Amino acid sequence: MTDIAPVPNPALPNPALPNPSAPGATRRFVRADGPDKVTGSGRYAADLQLSGMLHAKFRYADVAHGRITTLDTSAARAMPGVLSVLTHADVPDVRYSPGISDRTLFAKDVVRFEGEVVAAVAATTKEIAQAAVDAIVVEIEPLPVVNDAEEAMAADSPLVHTDWESYEADEAVVRSGNTVSFSSITHGDVEAGLSAADHVITSHHVADASHAAPIEPRAIVAQWEGQKVTVWTSSQVPFDARAGICQTLQLPTNRVRVIVPHLGGGFGGKCGFHFEAQIAALAKAAKRPVKLVFSRREEFLAPDRRREGMTVEITSGVKNDGSITARKARIVIDSGAYASDAAFFPQLAAMHVGGPYKVPNVEIEAHLMYTNHQPSGSVRAPTAPQACWALEAHTDQLADTLGIDPVQFRLQNCVTEGDTGIAGQVYGAIGLKECIEKAVAASDYGAELPDDEAVGVAVSWWPSFPGPSGAHVKIDDDGAGQIITGAQECGTGAVMTLRQLAADEVGLQPEDFEIIYQDTGVAPYDTGATGSQTLINNGRAVVRAARQIADELRKLAADHLEAAPGDIVLADGSAHVAGTPTKNVSIPELAGIAAGGELLAAHGSAPPLDYPTVAATCVGEQGVAGWVAPQFACHAVRVKVDAETGVARVMEISTAHDSGTILNLTGALGQVHGGVLMGIGQALTEVTRYSDEGLQMNAGMLEYKLQTAADAPPITTQFVEPGGEGAGPEGAKGLAEAPNVPTAAAIHNAITKVIGTPVNKLPMTAERIWEVQQ
Amino acid sequence: MEFSIATTVAEALDALQNGARPVAGGTDLVVGVRHGKSSFPDQLVAIDRLNELKSIDASDAGVRVGSLVTHAQLMTDPLITDRYSAIADASALVGSPATRNVGTLGGNVMNGSPAMDTGAPLMVLGAQAELASSAGSVLVDLADLWTGPGQTSAASDQLCVALKMPVRPERSGSAYVRLEYRRAMEIAVVGAAASVALNADGTIADASVALAAVAPTIIAVDGLSTLAAGRTVDEQLLADVASAASEHASPISDLRASDTYRRHTVGVMAKRAFDAAARRATGEVIGIPVNRAIGIGAAS
Ligand SMILES: Cc1cc2nc3c(=O)[nH]c(=O)nc-3n(C[C@H](O)[C@H](O)[C@H](O)COP(=O)(O)OP(=O)(O)OC[C@H]3O[C@@H](n4cnc5c(N)ncnc54)[C@H](O)[C@@H]3O)c2cc1C
Repeated sequence: MTDIAPVPNPALPNPALPNPSAPGATRRFVRADGPDKVTGSGRYAADLQLSGMLHAKFRYADVAHGRITTLDTSAARAMPGVLSVLTHADVPDVRYSPGISDRTLFAKDVVRFEGEVVAAVAATTKEIAQAAVDAIVVEIEPLPVVNDAEEAMAADSPLVHTDWESYEADEAVVRSGNTVSFSSITHGDVEAGLSAADHVITSHHVADASHAAPIEPRAIVAQWEGQKVTVWTSSQVPFDARAGICQTLQLPTNRVRVIVPHLGGGFGGKCGFHFEAQIAALAKAAKRPVKLVFSRREEFLAPDRRREGMTVEITSGVKNDGSITARKARIVIDSGAYASDAAFFPQLAAMHVGGPYKVPNVEIEAHLMYTNHQPSGSVRAPTAPQACWALEAHTDQLADTLGIDPVQFRLQNCVTEGDTGIAGQVYGAIGLKECIEKAVAASDYGAELPDDEAVGVAVSWWPSFPGPSGAHVKIDDDGAGQIITGAQECGTGAVMTLRQLAADEVGLQPEDFEIIYQDTGVAPYDTGATGSQTLINNGRAVVRAARQIADELRKLAADHLEAAPGDIVLADGSAHVAGTPTKNVSIPELAGIAAGGELLAAHGSAPPLDYPTVAATCVGEQGVAGWVAPQFACHAVRVKVDAETGVARVMEISTAHDSGTILNLTGALGQVHGGVLMGIGQALTEVTRYSDEGLQMNAGMLEYKLQTAADAPPITTQFVEPGGEGAGPEGAKGLAEAPNVPTAAAIHNAITKVIGTPVNKLPMTAERIWEVQQ
Repeated sequence: MEFSIATTVAEALDALQNGARPVAGGTDLVVGVRHGKSSFPDQLVAIDRLNELKSIDASDAGVRVGSLVTHAQLMTDPLITDRYSAIADASALVGSPATRNVGTLGGNVMNGSPAMDTGAPLMVLGAQAELASSAGSVLVDLADLWTGPGQTSAASDQLCVALKMPVRPERSGSAYVRLEYRRAMEIAVVGAAASVALNADGTIADASVALAAVAPTIIAVDGLSTLAAGRTVDEQLLADVASAASEHASPISDLRASDTYRRHTVGVMAKRAFDAAARRATGEVIGIPVNRAIGIGAAS
């Protein structure tokens, strides 16, 4: 096992730790899109201007639940400068959404959350479009608002979707009434396990909803040429967006091209299919290009991607020897008004409330509930930060009950190689134990600290998601390389690391490759910037393609140097005969030869990876109980709490991650720093507040409190590379989501140590921390 | 909307008399319009080029701070940081470097927000606003200037040209502390400023406390001087200051905090501001702003 020396946050050097390791297997290089972004030369979707372009505005429901009694667009249609006005009546009557087809492009009869689109207008100016939207007469007869996921479970709760039974859905989704999706994981005999315990401990936790809050509000431009439409959109998943357009507007895939200019962040908020079809339909009706740019408020209210609120009740049995005998849990998740992509959330949340521990007897049930809130969907590590926060608070309570040090308790119970997890998966070489040891060792855990400070520790895990993915690789006549990939860059830098993989295969430098990406018209399919999947899937596709080019280069070089292809080594920009570096030919020269004959162009596709088997009984099986290449992490966080006001401040974070082999240290550290900051926000300040009417009360950056650069603590990061079990190239796993998972949990445990009482509400705002002490 | 740029104070006053509203840094006015909180007035006159309103002038009578002095200037000006420290504490907390470089003292004061950061400091330092119009200048006590949230008693043709404060007594100090949930781009959940002057024997000669974000305007805590005079700064006095502040507050509940929490924390802020002011009065150097120098917000 190799590991990398601790790397302090470069902005805040930590003199106690050695410097970043010297160049070795892990490299550090600056992402190719960096200069464009920091100098302002990069172009985003909102920057696009096309001749004759119109501006779109939406009319929203503005109420959480109601029946449309009047929808009159005649005044809007009559306004000069208005070229198209659309409602449900003007588009195909199609229901969509992955898992459960419960949505329409425009509200059909009933509105189920405030941000539901009722009508859309395209006009010559934004102002006219807004005036026209305001001139649409919408009358809505109020229906009872389901404002809480627990209330949605009550037998007498109003139904959010009275027609739920008629919706098409995957057979695996277990649904009923307000229950969008139910999953349970049962393994062993939980009652017997609890009976065998010396102590049985129950705890209850409530996490509020939060937002992805990307800095770029989304923008979409659609333009038709004949029967084909091109849509420029700020999407994390252009192929998904294309599929949504095709499904709802009933078009074959080859008539729709989706292009993503630079993306100004996503964090999951721009996954899925959002508004591309409405804008394409407006453009078609108006016979002109149409552009939509969201305001910050719209970005908060309208997308069906928000981090779900969740309540968790956990009961565990423990023995005096420190072992866990059983775990029982009930999870209720707020899906909001539509399913979005959340049908798998219950099973995923169940895995996270079970946790990366050896628990022989498990019974966890999770309910995803419709409410009249904005729909929830995949935001960076969906369900995991909240579920981990609940479980790790509970874990500290278990250790406390037994009088065992919480770190020792975790080391004793965490899964290691050969252990069986909560769903019965047997793990190979994994690095959780080393993560705990390293993160804790580099922290102040156990050191003498002032009374108002403490170090909290939490562990977490996260799956890697195998999926289909393709790429083209070519080298042109001058030896310059190009990767044409379906992969999408949302800021993680994963796409940028593809250059390193291709370069390594053919003996060039990463900088010798340009990347053409995020255009469904030129590249093969990829799932997109979702599920931390880019490197493990598209990386394998790129390696496959680059290997074919490398084979071609070896053949050409063998001809040229009169040697056997098997003896040709590709390195440092040239091909040489093994053992005789002087017998060589440059790659540009070989590329020149190829350009006159058989071209250096190849296609690679990543074959599916096998999922491990699980022994547990899974009702509502969604494919997320057995994990390919699981990632692990431990965060140890030093927190200072001002007991008089409840204000908590994160002073320092020590992190250790098993995300497999780290290919680009610069990029990997960026992911950890970003994930940690997002985790601090979720822990302390980020929360969506709802009024009694089910409306968001803080849909703006003033009252939705993200963390700022001034709040960033020093972050120390160590990577554990156990090797062997990696799904991706060179043993790489995903990394974009994992760092976001354990931060809030570790902060919780530190706060509890300082004030002596757990704060069982997330975020742990200053007022809540103060309140529990009263 | 009609937009003009004044090159002299007289031009600005003319514009005001003709119905224009002044815009200084625009960080309240323009940002508010962009947020949809308000709309642009029919006429707007930019005053940001009036260099005569950008200086800090000391005299025997005290200090006169031009209304266009920015927060960035206030947090670094030696006279302000040394003798009128509470203002520097407040200005250093405003928004971000960008906000502080553009936002002005006059704008902060005339915007009339009950959560403004420089308001409580100005009040404990005995500031008066110098309002000019074509008819001449008047000095207005701040307690008379702020009449409600976002409201002042200034007439629409009056331009705030300066804030004037008397000389600081011997052995005096001032400080401003605010409750914040993050360390930049924040608005005071509650805030408190204190001014303390000591006798030669270390007992309190005079003291005042003012509070932010707990009433429709910035408010002074009445009777504070009587409560503190002659006493030494100890736990009991600080507890009394906290209670007086909490009792004096009439906070509301909103997204940032409940009334109960505000009432409690404004007391905590008041005693911390009082403590810091008293320590400064003894000559102790506490960095600007107090929020970053000691306690939870300190750098390490
Ligand atoms: C991101 C951000 C963060 C902020 N953070 C804080 C903070 O932490 N604390 C805080 O207190 N404030 C904060 N503010 C508010 C604002 O920056 C300050 O109030 C600033 O001092 C306003 O000054 P200005 O010159 O920009 O005012 P402007 O916006 O130009 O004017 C504000 C109001 O005062 C009037 N006005 C301006 N100058 C005069 C004058 N000389 N005479 C008469 N009327 C006048 C204007 O007509 C307008 O009504 C923040 C604002 C932003 C955008």
